[in-house]
Amino acid sequence: MVNPLILIHAICAELGLFAFLWVLVEMLNPTTTRIARAQMAAVIGFGFLLFAWLVGGFYYVEIYGLHIKPIIKASDAKWAHSIVMEVKEHVFLFLPILATLTAALLYKYDEELLENRDAQLSIVLLAGLIFLIGFSIAGMGALISSAYRFALMAGVT
Amino acid sequence: MNSKALVRAATVTIALIAVATIGSELSVPFKQLLSNIGGHHWVGKSVLSVVFFASLYLVFSKVSDQRLALRDTGILIGTVVISVLAILIFYASHA
Repeated sequence: MVNPLILIHAICAELGLFAFLWVLVEMLNPTTTRIARAQMAAVIGFGFLLFAWLVGGFYYVEIYGLHIKPIIKASDAKWAHSIVMEVKEHVFLFLPILATLTAALLYKYDEELLENRDAQLSIVLLAGLIFLIGFSIAGMGALISSAYRFALMAGVT
Repeated sequence: MNSKALVRAATVTIALIAVATIGSELSVPFKQLLSNIGGHHWVGKSVLSVVFFASLYLVFSKVSDQRLALRDTGILIGTVVISVLAILIFYASHA
């Protein structure tokens, strides 16, 4: 059975990523109303990513390392841990920093974003970067889950 | 709030996470040091990333001018791309 923590981690992370996609869309052509919505979306996105970090971290340390990792490493798909998981767990640490920065810039510049092209483009690029990195990480998570199922089907215990 | 200092703090913190990630695989004492912070080396890196980000912001806010330029964001994005590639290449070559 799938551990509910991994579902909570994945759902919260994806909601957080879509919130930053929302930020990107709002900031492509900002108005006062769109800036206000982008600020709200960034706070929501930051909250979801923070929660995904805490839940995913607990799952990684307390469950994955003890029960999942040994099975993957004993299988022919051990690369799923030694490359994919190692990259995933460390690159994930970039996301809370980028999310904090994006939300902070939105509140710092506020309606100045209507005229400040550098700040507006910075927010668009950062929100896009969060979305791209995040969904790459989600793909890595799917690979790791597949490797675990592959190991179980191959009879690794 | 000093936005340029915030972008620079994020840039350096992300580079430091990449360095700490690779460094902890190359040095057992360093990995142990990170584990001592939070019981697991990944928790240690998580805690350090928050501490570095906050500390570097305080340092950069004293020396940076406040005007954010697109170039600062470009340097941050370049640092993210290089850090991701460095981590990926390191683990792929040591698997």
